[in-house]
Amino acid sequence: MFVHHFKYSVITLFKNKMLIFWVYAFPIILGTLFQMAFSNVEHSEKFHAFDIAIVESDTVQNNEIYREAFRSLSDEQSDHHLFNIQYVTEDTAKELLDNQEIAGYVVLTDPVNVIVNSSGAEETVLKYAVEEIAQQEAMIHTLINADMQGAFEAEQSHRNPEEIYQQAMALIQDDTVNIEDVSGEHLSYIVIEFYTLIAMACLYGGILGMVSINNSLANMSNQGKRISVSPAPKAKLILSSVLASYVAQLIGLFILFVYIVLVLKVDFGNHLPFIMLLTLAGSLAGLSLGILVATGMKANENSKTGILISVTMCGCFLSGMMGVSMKYIIDTHLPVLNKINPASMITDGFYALYYYDTPDRYYQDLISLFVFSGLLILLSIVSLRRQQYDCI
Amino acid sequence: MIVFKTFLKVLYKCKMPVILFTVILILFGVMNDSTSDNTASFTASKPDLVIINQDEEEGITKSFIEYISENSNVKHIGNDNEQLDDALFYREVSYIIYIPEHFRSDFLKGENPKITVKSTGDYEANLAEMLVSRYLKAANVYIRELDSEDEVIRQVRETLSKQAQIEITTQIDGAEISRLVVFFNFANYSLLAGGIYVVCLILSSFKDDNIRKRTMISSVNEKQYNRQLLFSNSLFMIFLWALYCILGSVLLGDIMFTVQGLICVLNSLIFSLCCLTISFLIGNLINNKNAINGIINVVALGSSFLCGAFIPMEWLPDSILAVAHFLPSYYYIKTNECLKQIEVFNAATVQPIVINTLVIIIFMIVFITITNVVSRRKRKIG
Repeated sequence: MFVHHFKYSVITLFKNKMLIFWVYAFPIILGTLFQMAFSNVEHSEKFHAFDIAIVESDTVQNNEIYREAFRSLSDEQSDHHLFNIQYVTEDTAKELLDNQEIAGYVVLTDPVNVIVNSSGAEETVLKYAVEEIAQQEAMIHTLINADMQGAFEAEQSHRNPEEIYQQAMALIQDDTVNIEDVSGEHLSYIVIEFYTLIAMACLYGGILGMVSINNSLANMSNQGKRISVSPAPKAKLILSSVLASYVAQLIGLFILFVYIVLVLKVDFGNHLPFIMLLTLAGSLAGLSLGILVATGMKANENSKTGILISVTMCGCFLSGMMGVSMKYIIDTHLPVLNKINPASMITDGFYALYYYDTPDRYYQDLISLFVFSGLLILLSIVSLRRQQYDCI
Repeated sequence: MIVFKTFLKVLYKCKMPVILFTVILILFGVMNDSTSDNTASFTASKPDLVIINQDEEEGITKSFIEYISENSNVKHIGNDNEQLDDALFYREVSYIIYIPEHFRSDFLKGENPKITVKSTGDYEANLAEMLVSRYLKAANVYIRELDSEDEVIRQVRETLSKQAQIEITTQIDGAEISRLVVFFNFANYSLLAGGIYVVCLILSSFKDDNIRKRTMISSVNEKQYNRQLLFSNSLFMIFLWALYCILGSVLLGDIMFTVQGLICVLNSLIFSLCCLTISFLIGNLINNKNAINGIINVVALGSSFLCGAFIPMEWLPDSILAVAHFLPSYYYIKTNECLKQIEVFNAATVQPIVINTLVIIIFMIVFITITNVVSRRKRKIG
């Protein structure tokens, strides 16, 4: 009886076109859209050398500090490559700026004049860089003055000013700043979008559980009435329905995973068994949510579906699907909300695997998902027990 | 008139889902406006960072922290590593500076002590790194030449106080116009999704077999019937558009009452009518009420993602933008984006806007023609 009911539950689920769309096709479509839209975002945020112009003048020709600094900043081989520089007349620079071919241009006056169109990131970098050169120039002058004064006091009038200047330049250019960058290599926040997508697919799987249970409930469908009057044990029927929807859900998730990892090339880190375990737990949470909505609510199937989709979408919204920063805002200001939100538990579990070296946070999320599922299944059992109808 | 009356009756019957859906879409627009700072622009001239100081805050260490604090937005997130790493990952901060123990004493000994940092590698992180390295560089040079710590601090501060003079040529308030453009770009999703949902919901009632048979044997000709339905539905579209514009004037304020604001409003009106024709075509193509939600997600979300309604157009890959040329949303959003750059409105600067509008109108004519063809072909029932 168990196998028979299991088989027909699976067939019934796969014949429902709307279910197939929401559980199988929709996450894949959404994932494709995410990939199309976000594939360039992080690349755009990274720093790239940009075009600027410097207005030619005698000052530029004679000021070695600026000439050398701009040469170094425009050297494509250098680590400090910030700009692609054109040396032009002021009129040409204005024209280039008007045509948005350059981010801004520099006129060497005292203080140095930087002309830009608007206040953007590139313009800010240009300002910072020019200031840095001006500061280097000031530093060299201070050093030369101190040196000259020292020479004067020591009555070393034989010291050549050119020699002092070269020494000061060498001192500044020789200097290396001791900064060590210890950031991890996994810093792509766009992956969170895909983690929430998996979370959404896990929770949408609840619709399968809900439809499957509805098919066995006497008050929800004619098929349910037929099943209820049959002599088959109710526990077996419910269990086989639930198992059928869990299997259907896992097939959908497997297809989604294959698509995301092999086609969209999203990085999930190197923890395949942990990822699978988390997905199984996430699907169980989705399934238990679907079962609770099916058993605990006295409403028609459309309302139940509406509620389930709303709960799922709200959960995904809070876990960062419509804006990655939302998860962080909730985590820092109202952490309890994300502690009871299954979508957030799933997303956070993937995030912990991707970003952190230690598995503590992952296990915490995993256990939370099992506790969540256990509680919901318990509530469903309580509401399903001893359900009998004299007439419907 | 009879078609219009029926339209109103059906609309009244579906009032709950229609109101709910409209409110949700408008709310999305509001939420998008309030969080757009994170996604639309990265123009902050002061980077967000955290300083974790393990040394005593005295002398050169204190001066270093003061300099960084004056030139950046220092956030206080706590000392917990997990909290700090989370903040970095979610771009709450772009840079974390760890000042080691004995930094000051090592520095005074001329040992060039190591500063550890964590960085997101984006523009802001680059600015932060420039700040840190320029301070340390100046301090390293002066410590070799000068004897006293106070003198080093004084000279470093004096050197770093040298500023460049910045001249901004444009008179446009970039931030305000960006906000206006982000708000109206998002309208692409709200208008499309709202239009498809309501128009399809109403059309599906008109497409009940018995009602269609009754309509067909009536004296109203097919084109006239379609035209009346289209005009009736346009009322709802105009209502949705007006609601969005009113909300825009509440949220955005004065910028809505500028030429840029007016162009956005007119552009969105034309696009609303285009959405109506798209919805009308979809409504004529599908017969299943349950399929509406799926179609909304595919069409509205799809064209919004592809054409840059959710994230700036300049961040989209070229291949995606090439595909987007076949969608009316692209021309609607392009007009909005044009406004960021136009300073003086004259025939030459307005030309791209006119071309985009014409393309949207051509799309509308094409959709109406296809709808008429489809609806004629689908006349046969049973």
